Amino acid sequence: MVRSKRRSYKRGGGIFTLPVALFLLTFIVYPFLFNVRLAFTDGGGDFAGLVNFTKIAADKSLGNSFGLTVYYVVGSVFFQMLLGTAVGIALESPFKGRGIVRSLILIPWVLPGAVAATTWAWMYHGDFGIITRFLSFGLSGERYGLLTRPWTVMPALIAVNVWKMFPFVAVMVTAGLQSIDKTLYEAARVDGAGRMAEIRYITLPGIRHVLFSVLLLLTIWGFNSITLIFIMTQGGPADVSLILPLHVYRMGFMFFNFNTAAAESIFLFAILAVLIAVYLRVFTQGEGGDE
Amino acid sequence: MKKYRPGVMIFLFLVCVFCLFPFAWMIISSIKESGDIMSVPPTLVPRKATLSHYGDVFTKSNIPRYFVNSTVIAAGSTLIALAFALLGGYGFARYRFKGKSFLQNAVLSSQMLPTAAIIVPLFIILRSMGLLNTYLGLILAYLIITLPLSVWMMTGYFRSIPADIEEAAAIDGCGRLGILVRVVLPISIPGIVATAIYCFVVTWNEFLFALSFATDKNVMTLPIGLAEFTREFTIDWGALMAASVLMTLPIVLLFFTLQKGFISGLTAGATKG
Repeated sequence: MVRSKRRSYKRGGGIFTLPVALFLLTFIVYPFLFNVRLAFTDGGGDFAGLVNFTKIAADKSLGNSFGLTVYYVVGSVFFQMLLGTAVGIALESPFKGRGIVRSLILIPWVLPGAVAATTWAWMYHGDFGIITRFLSFGLSGERYGLLTRPWTVMPALIAVNVWKMFPFVAVMVTAGLQSIDKTLYEAARVDGAGRMAEIRYITLPGIRHVLFSVLLLLTIWGFNSITLIFIMTQGGPADVSLILPLHVYRMGFMFFNFNTAAAESIFLFAILAVLIAVYLRVFTQGEGGDE
Repeated sequence: MKKYRPGVMIFLFLVCVFCLFPFAWMIISSIKESGDIMSVPPTLVPRKATLSHYGDVFTKSNIPRYFVNSTVIAAGSTLIALAFALLGGYGFARYRFKGKSFLQNAVLSSQMLPTAAIIVPLFIILRSMGLLNTYLGLILAYLIITLPLSVWMMTGYFRSIPADIEEAAAIDGCGRLGILVRVVLPISIPGIVATAIYCFVVTWNEFLFALSFATDKNVMTLPIGLAEFTREFTIDWGALMAASVLMTLPIVLLFFTLQKGFISGLTAGATKG
C-alpha cells in the first residue's frame, strides 16, 4: 500500500525538466548543428563539401595556433595543479587565521577576468610596470616589457593564468581532503611515517578522483579561454600568443568569414569532445546506482 | 596534530602575497596622482592619495552606463536561470521519467561546452532573431553558460533534503507545483542563494559572448568597457585601475558575505565522483 503510493508520487515529474530540455535544444543543440551546416557550406549557403576543412588544413597560422594552445594549456595546468594541490594540503594543518587565509587566496579566482587582465597588463607595462621594474634590477637599467618580447609573452600569460586559477584547485583539494579517513593518518603515525610519506601514500591517493576531475576541467577551460589573452596581447606580438579561440574569433568577427570560422570551431570542438567524454565517464561513475 | 610547521607558514605567507599583490596594486594605482603613476621607478606607496580617477570614470567615461548594463543583464539572466534550475533540479531530484539519465548527461556535458566553438552559429541565430545588441540576447546567451551547473547545484541541494515533508503535503492534497513552491522553496534558501551567486558572478565577469553579441554602447557590459580602455592610443591607467576596482567591488562583496554556501554548493558535485 504505502509502497505503491510512494511510487506514484515519484513518477511522471518529467514536466518539471521541460524548460531546461527545451532551452538546451534551442540554444545548445541547434547552434551546434547549425555550426556543422555552416562548416559544410559556402558564403552563399550552398553545399561546399570539405572545402572549408581543406582550407583550414592548409592554413599554417591555424597549426601555429594549435601548438601555442597546447603550450599555453599544458604550461598553465601543470603549475595550477602543482601550486593548487600544495596550497590545499598546506591549508589542512590547523593554525590561527586559517579561515582568513582560505578566503584571501580565493581573490584571484573571484576577480573578473577582464580586471585581472588589465591589472597584470599594467604590472607588465614596458615603462611603468612594477614587474618590469623588478626584472630590470642589475640589467644596467634596461627595461624589459614581458608582453612586448616574442619569447617572454607566453610564459608571462601562463603566469597570469596560474595566478587566476590555482585557487580553484586549492578549494577542490581542500574539499576532497575532508573525505579522507582520519584513522589512516593515525595508523601511519603509529608506523612511524613522516609527513611527506603521509602525503604521498595517504593524501594524494585519497584525493586522486578530485585531482583527476580538476585536471580535466582546467584543460577544457584552458582550451576555451580567451579573456586574459584578448585583453593583454590580442594574440600579438606577431601572433605569438594567438591561441585557438582567438583564431576562431578573429576569423568570424574580424575577417567575417563565418564558414571557415565554423570549420575551425569544429576542430576546436573535436579536441574538447575527447576531453569531455573522458570527464563524463569518470564523473558519472559514482552516479550509476541512481536510476 | 597541533605541530607548528614554520616551512608551511612561510609558504602560505608567500602564496598570500602572490594572490593579493595584483589586487593591492590595482587599488594603489587607482588612488595615485597621474604624475605619480608614471614615475620611474614606481613607488609602492602613493605620494599623495587622490580620488580624481574615480571622478574621471564617473564623469568622463561610459563606465557608469556599462555598470547599469552589466547589472541588468546579470540580474535578468540570474533570475531566469534560477527559475529553470529550480524546476529542473526538482524534477531530477524527486521524479523518475523516461529519458531522465539521458537528459542529465546532456546537462552535464553542456556544462563543458566550449563557448568559443559556438560563437559563430549563435551570432547568426541571435541576428536572425533580432537579438543582437539587446539585453535579452545576452541574457539568453548567458543561460547557456550558467544553466547547466545551476541545474546541477539545485539537483544536489534538493537531494540533500529529506522528502518526508513533501510526502506529508502530498497526502494532505497539495499539488506538485504547490509542494515545490510552498514546501520545498522555503527550506531551500541556502541552495538557491549559492546558485544565484554563481550565476551572477559568472555573468558579471563573462567576456567572449559580450564581445561578440553586444558591440553597441547601449548594451555593452563592463568587461568590454575595460578592454575598450586598453585599446585607446594613450591609456589613462589611473582611470582604468579605478574602473577595475569599481567592477570588482560588487563581486568581492557578494562573494565574501555568502562564501560558505557558495563553496560547499560548488564543490558538492565535483567531489562526489
